[in-house]
Amino acid sequence: MEVVPISIAAVAALLSIIATFLAVRSRDMLSAVVFSAVQSTAYALIYYVLMAPDIVLVYIPVSVGILPAVTVLLIKKTERYES
Amino acid sequence: MNLREAVIAVSIALMVVLLAYTIGAGGLGPIAPSRLRDLAVSYLANTYNPWNITKSALSLEAVTAIVWDYRGLDTFFETSVLFVSIVGVALVFRGYREKLGLSGRGLSEIVKTSTRVLTPLILIAGISIAIHGHLTPGGGFQGGSFIAVLLVLMSVVFSLDFVIEKGITSSRLLTLRSIGLVGVLTTSVALLVLGLALGTHAYIFQNIAREGSPLSMPSWLLDRPTGGTLIFFNLFEALAVAAGLSLAFIVLSLRESEVEEALGKGEWYE
Amino acid sequence: MSDPVVTLYTIIVLSLVVNIGISLYGVFTRPSLVKKFICLTIFSDTLNSFAIAIGFRRVSDTYPSIAVLSSVPEESSELATFSETAVDPVPQALVLTAIVIGLAVYMFLVGLIVMYYRHYKTTHVRVVEGGSVG
Repeated sequence: MEVVPISIAAVAALLSIIATFLAVRSRDMLSAVVFSAVQSTAYALIYYVLMAPDIVLVYIPVSVGILPAVTVLLIKKTERYES
Repeated sequence: MNLREAVIAVSIALMVVLLAYTIGAGGLGPIAPSRLRDLAVSYLANTYNPWNITKSALSLEAVTAIVWDYRGLDTFFETSVLFVSIVGVALVFRGYREKLGLSGRGLSEIVKTSTRVLTPLILIAGISIAIHGHLTPGGGFQGGSFIAVLLVLMSVVFSLDFVIEKGITSSRLLTLRSIGLVGVLTTSVALLVLGLALGTHAYIFQNIAREGSPLSMPSWLLDRPTGGTLIFFNLFEALAVAAGLSLAFIVLSLRESEVEEALGKGEWYE
Repeated sequence: MSDPVVTLYTIIVLSLVVNIGISLYGVFTRPSLVKKFICLTIFSDTLNSFAIAIGFRRVSDTYPSIAVLSSVPEESSELATFSETAVDPVPQALVLTAIVIGLAVYMFLVGLIVMYYRHYKTTHVRVVEGGSVG
């Protein structure tokens, strides 16, 4: 029964590849921020399966909370679409 | 894609293939190893060891003991680096003043009511994670980040005016951040000062008695282990991180018109 | 039953390597400063994941336990069992420091991007003389 957690982490890792590719490819900056937050959630699941609960408790507020908020403020002050 | 992007793509693909081959052939060690290094085994065996007390940190959690006791100097300077960077962000928007009446009125009533239920829960969860840092996974950074996210949530759902009217302004947050940093410094040299006053040996960041320096912080409170200096470090660090990250968000959310009025137009062009 | 676990663990590590490649491509070729910033955060998070994946450990018939004692030990044989089944705590402490210092660098970069936009009125990387986009 130790295969079940690691297989969930493998599915999350493959999902993070798709999210990263979509984040690099999109022309709209707000979509890129949202895809980056999806990738951070997949990484938090990988950290949980790899037995690192301290890192999960730092990573989720920082990378799904503070950094997208600051980046959306940055987009508001500069341009939204890539030229 | 032009030629430059194609060359970059091909070279990055080559790097990825070579790195994957190196990892698959055992370059980073055996895949999923089954024996740890000797350093990790000695940290795990000594983190709560009343039978060998000169090497122990007397905390049930190995990661917090490594971060604040065995490698405490790294963490102290990392806190200073975060402080310097937040001062840098506040310097880009220098001369700012909070002006009321410019932000909207927040989101709808449904969102406001559910956030009123959630706010004390998030606050208590953050403080609990910070205080129990030596018993469960958690610590100073984790609890402080929770409270910083709570402040971001409050200034989005209710408006920014609500947060400023409650008394959470940028200058007060900067003061709280400095108090946290001074608290960390004081705890790290507390036993050194006591040792100099009594005439015995003591080290910086000393937690439990070592050979040759018999002073140690109290490590049991009624019937629970407190980990010596770890609980004070976690409290001050949670205060410092919460105040610092909220300050960065509030300073960045000022409107450009306020900043222009504060700096005077044309001052940042030279 | 050693093959499925090793295969899945290898899939995790190899997908992290592919993420490194995609985010580096994004940093090098996209001309907008905000896009470079987002791809830089993805790159740094992937490297931290590498460090944590190195610290994982495989115990033969159970799942390894976290690096926290679950109760105050009464005798020293419990400490021997703990250090036989717990994962490595040293990479987790180093990654904690790395995340906080990364956050400090990102805050500073945001300030610099705002100053760049105020001066040149664009976030495009290539600016010719006279301040227009080229």
